[in-house]
Amino acid sequence: MRHSHHSLRERLGASLALFAGVALVGSMGSSCNLDPVHRAGVNNLGDEQPDLYPPETEYHRPGEPCALCHSSAGPADTQFVLAGTIFWGPDRYDRRVDKAYVRIGGPEKTTKCFVTNCNGNFYVRSEDYKNLKFPLLVSVERVNDPAGPGPDAEKSIRVRRMSSHIGREASCATCHILGLRDFGSPGQIRMYDTESEVDVAKPPIPAQCPNEDPPVPQCPEDRP
Amino acid sequence: MKATALRTAVIMGVGGAALGLLALAACASSPDENRLTVVITPDFNTYVTSVDAYLTRRCGSLDCHGQPGRAYRIYSREGYRLYTIQDGSLVSGQQPTQPEEQRANFQALVSLEPEEMSRLMGRQGENPNQLLFLRKPLKIERHKGGPAMAEDDPGYLCVTSWLKIPVVQGDGTPIPPAQRAKLSANALRNCQTATDFP
Repeated sequence: MRHSHHSLRERLGASLALFAGVALVGSMGSSCNLDPVHRAGVNNLGDEQPDLYPPETEYHRPGEPCALCHSSAGPADTQFVLAGTIFWGPDRYDRRVDKAYVRIGGPEKTTKCFVTNCNGNFYVRSEDYKNLKFPLLVSVERVNDPAGPGPDAEKSIRVRRMSSHIGREASCATCHILGLRDFGSPGQIRMYDTESEVDVAKPPIPAQCPNEDPPVPQCPEDRP
Repeated sequence: MKATALRTAVIMGVGGAALGLLALAACASSPDENRLTVVITPDFNTYVTSVDAYLTRRCGSLDCHGQPGRAYRIYSREGYRLYTIQDGSLVSGQQPTQPEEQRANFQALVSLEPEEMSRLMGRQGENPNQLLFLRKPLKIERHKGGPAMAEDDPGYLCVTSWLKIPVVQGDGTPIPPAQRAKLSANALRNCQTATDFP
């Protein structure tokens, strides 16, 4: 009887040890990323650059593939179904489009509009666009003075439309690769095809970001 | 007793390895470099004039089949570019789709399932949904990109009309390209509608 009791205790101990082991590995899996491809993609982004933007804010990492981290695989806490950065020209990193209207059209004739922040970033969470389905058509517009008071405030400076659709990728920068235009990428999303066109157009570019400008949370069609 | 068991184990091990090597040698005959898989392909000219533009637009974006990792790889202006021509100077989104790219798209399509494509051509395009190329976008089989076609949409009707152009006689004699049927006015309209759709 005593022997059997001892054996039961040993078995209980072994079971607990096994459970603890499984729980340990499971917790590692949830806190660390066990997908080597995703992990390599995240690591390749490199460190945040505090001299260029406030790290881990809505202004960070302009031009990088947002939904790589902002996905169910993490490591970001929030998940995006679509996100990207709008630039004025094809080459310069420092000329980004603030307060641009990013209009998205889905296959069931759903449309939504989002506005870029002062670093040119926009993002769509699943709760922002509940019936989002791919493929998507996208256009970007920048007007004179978004939500401004004057009669010409909403007059368009420039509109660009994607010539193809988005098939299923949530990060604009996965295809629109920063600083690269070649057989596999059309380059960063831009309002003008050359930087000299941007020089001539002299579009409004915020001197710094974040700044004191009042944010524009809604496109004209969504304002009350 | 122990020595006998050990000897038996060694003999069994060596014998098993020899048998395994023999089996491996039987399987791995040297490849025949002259062997060809002859594919009866659908009409290439109709593909170029009426079908390629639709498929590149519908399926060839950079985040779908406009990627080097896809067996059905599509080259086009709107997506991935063929970098082995024009010194690799083609840029995504810029120059028009090139004839070499259209040919590469055609080759990618027909070589997905060469035997199945030959059988389909042999039966004059009847029951085209046997092709994986159509089974996936119709979601008869798993497709990571979701449903990309339906049996009543112009794109599907365009593709199946093209596949129904006879390229061999009933006895298997090839029909020269110049003597092949053309797409009907209705089919051409479907192809145009499908291509124009955003």
